[in-house]
Amino acid sequence: MAGRLPYYIEYRYIAKRHAGRPPEAYLPLPPATFHILLALADGELHGYAIMKGVAARSEGTVRLGPGTLYGSLKRLLEAGLVEEGRERADPERGDERRRYYRLTPLGLSVVRAEARRLEGMVRAARRKKLIGERPA
Amino acid sequence: MSAERIYRLLLRAYPPDFRAEYGREMVLLFRDQCRESDVRTVRFWAMVLSDVARSAPALRAAAWRAWVNESTQTMEVIMKLAAMLTVLLGVFGIVGAVVEWVAGSKGAIDGTYVLAVVLGVFANVLLLGAGVAILLRRPHAARLALFASLVSVVAARLLFPWMSYFSQLVGFGLPVALLIALYWPRRASPVAQ
Repeated sequence: MAGRLPYYIEYRYIAKRHAGRPPEAYLPLPPATFHILLALADGELHGYAIMKGVAARSEGTVRLGPGTLYGSLKRLLEAGLVEEGRERADPERGDERRRYYRLTPLGLSVVRAEARRLEGMVRAARRKKLIGERPA
Repeated sequence: MSAERIYRLLLRAYPPDFRAEYGREMVLLFRDQCRESDVRTVRFWAMVLSDVARSAPALRAAAWRAWVNESTQTMEVIMKLAAMLTVLLGVFGIVGAVVEWVAGSKGAIDGTYVLAVVLGVFANVLLLGAGVAILLRRPHAARLALFASLVSVVAARLLFPWMSYFSQLVGFGLPVALLIALYWPRRASPVAQ
């Protein structure tokens, strides 16, 4: 029962289960999840690079610790939004082999859908002059 | 004690499966954080502890939910098999009681014996009905049938003390086991709906 499921079970019962869901079904995304997907939009990254990317993009307002990051990555892997790339060493960070993660086509659609949703909300806030111009 | 050793101890707050899968990566990431931060500051450890306190309970809860879900599915399969066995034993019990009736009718029979055999047949019919009810996902009906079957078997046993061990085992053990299984708390079980 315990331990990782064999790949064919993951494919048959987990990956295929999510295959038919439209990207909008995953929305709204938790902020940490959106930041992780946004970081992975740049390409394959390992955990620390994702963490640094998120901290830099959010100007330090979102700080992901190892538990939050890998907990989110686990859920994203199970949902089929992210997949693991080839394990390899990062030349900049010594010779320890690290797992790399990348967006799946579904993950890319979901992050786009979330960005559009947020854009719509920002537009609504702008129309009400809550942001962009002097608040009413 | 080094910072990494403390962090390895903190990792024990996470579910074992998660630790096995991501523990090494988390330690690597922590090592990177240690290189770029001052590990002697309270702020650093406050961040580490806050991360563990936020993520570990959520992951433990998710692992527990997955376990309950898995157990529910296993329980459903066991209940279906138990229901089929109950139906078979119910049929077998009815046939056995009828055979006993025919054999007993050749000699002198009294009212107590007849009542015991009738109760035995009734108990087995109820057992059969309970099995069918479980298969049809009617737990309430199954519970009622099992209770009634148990009462009938107890009455038959009091009237007819020479009941075989097999009949007693099936008559008492099976309804009790099925009642425990039907009352066992579990989530989203179609049998228990």
